[in-house]
Amino acid sequence: MPVTKPDCALLILGHGSTENPDSSQPCWNHAETILATGQFGSVHCAFWKEEPSFRQIWPMIEESEVYIVPNFISEGYFTRQVLPRELEIDGHTTVRGEKTLHYCDPVGIHPAMTGLLTKRALEILDDSVRPEDTSLIIVGHGTGLNQKSTEAIKVQVEAIRESGAPFARVLDAYMEEAPFIADWQTLTDTPNVVVVPFFIADGLHSYQDIPVLLGIESEPTAAASQREVFRHNPHPFGDRTLWYSSAIGTDPSLADVIVDQVAYFDEHYRA
Amino acid sequence: MSLADTLASLLEREDRLVFGELTLSRDPHGVFSARHRVDAEPTTSLEPIDSVAALREIAKYDSAGAFRPLKTAPGLRSGWCTETPCPREFLRRLDAIYPGLFATWVAYDRDALAPVPLRGTLGRQTGMYRFAGTITDEMAHRLQAELCAPGCLRRITWPIDANNGGHARVEASADEIPLLCTEACTFAVTRARELAKEAYDQANSAGTPQG
Repeated sequence: MPVTKPDCALLILGHGSTENPDSSQPCWNHAETILATGQFGSVHCAFWKEEPSFRQIWPMIEESEVYIVPNFISEGYFTRQVLPRELEIDGHTTVRGEKTLHYCDPVGIHPAMTGLLTKRALEILDDSVRPEDTSLIIVGHGTGLNQKSTEAIKVQVEAIRESGAPFARVLDAYMEEAPFIADWQTLTDTPNVVVVPFFIADGLHSYQDIPVLLGIESEPTAAASQREVFRHNPHPFGDRTLWYSSAIGTDPSLADVIVDQVAYFDEHYRA
Repeated sequence: MSLADTLASLLEREDRLVFGELTLSRDPHGVFSARHRVDAEPTTSLEPIDSVAALREIAKYDSAGAFRPLKTAPGLRSGWCTETPCPREFLRRLDAIYPGLFATWVAYDRDALAPVPLRGTLGRQTGMYRFAGTITDEMAHRLQAELCAPGCLRRITWPIDANNGGHARVEASADEIPLLCTEACTFAVTRARELAKEAYDQANSAGTPQG
């Protein structure tokens, strides 16, 4: 749905990192893309671990109506507790002074993510590889501390299966809870496996930790911006072949999903 | 008045302003420029930087290529300049170097942004940072002296609590846009948690029977 709101600001929220220079980059890239379309009067980013912080952002925004889109994968601790607390917002729409603040759903739960994950998996496979001989694994963080953390991935895996995507199998796997991504060779039975990280950025987890769990690297490497790992696809493992994608959040189409969440807000939450 | 117009009004033609490690200036034709203070009187040619994204990259790494997660840490790279006649674009470029710092100053100067006491910031933390709020005043002073003072160019305006450790109000100056800290940042919260944990561990180990 087209969105034209030249009198409104768009605020994209990211986690950021004090250690990895690549964590905030997708947010900035998507912000530049959206700003260039002229759909919003201004486009801003704010972060939990970088600058501008969530607490610094309000003086920067001059429009009286603001759409806030969390560039987060799932609903949970951050989107329901940390972000509203730090931004001092409550519920879908908060009116504070002269500002009206609309809090949209995180990008990771938008239905468009299903097609994006499938597209990403298909485009990194070599032309000679049949998806019918290939398992697709969507990998997330996972934690025994929060059941919600895997929900978004399970929903996407089910949606990809139901979409008729041509893969032999579609599976979910996690860094820190079962099914573990480190067990990818026993979780799958096809000659080809493609793994797409359901992460926002090629940061610490998707770029440095998961390649070790997959067996691509023997130990964590430097940050992505200082290396070129993704150019080494595919990775042979005996008679199996593995393809490893960059994080789904780095896909340029995420800019469209961010705007789609604004349209979704207007359709479903706007009084 | 918009932020961009405010910036233009503070930086009139042939004016210069200090902004952190930057010198801001405006030539007789109204073109705004920013460069590192060490390059303010350039004896060598400076690399022209014309995009916000490129300026963000300059602020992201120090001269040795190390990541600068805190943009107001000392050590901004030199050897470049950026110029534009458009105040709105100039503000975007300054925000790439010092994100939000101009807007923070304007809001503070207009009494539209009240500094948040350290205990308010620490007290609302949850998850792994929830113990940060248990630091003593002595630890809070130590945090400012050991972390903030050497590691950040901002001037702290927040008190430790509403009745303790306040700082004198920063007043406007004709030749500087101050870099203000109106609330403790993620580095300070993280350090507060470390100090609280050290104190907790010391207290527990002191009470642990030996042998």
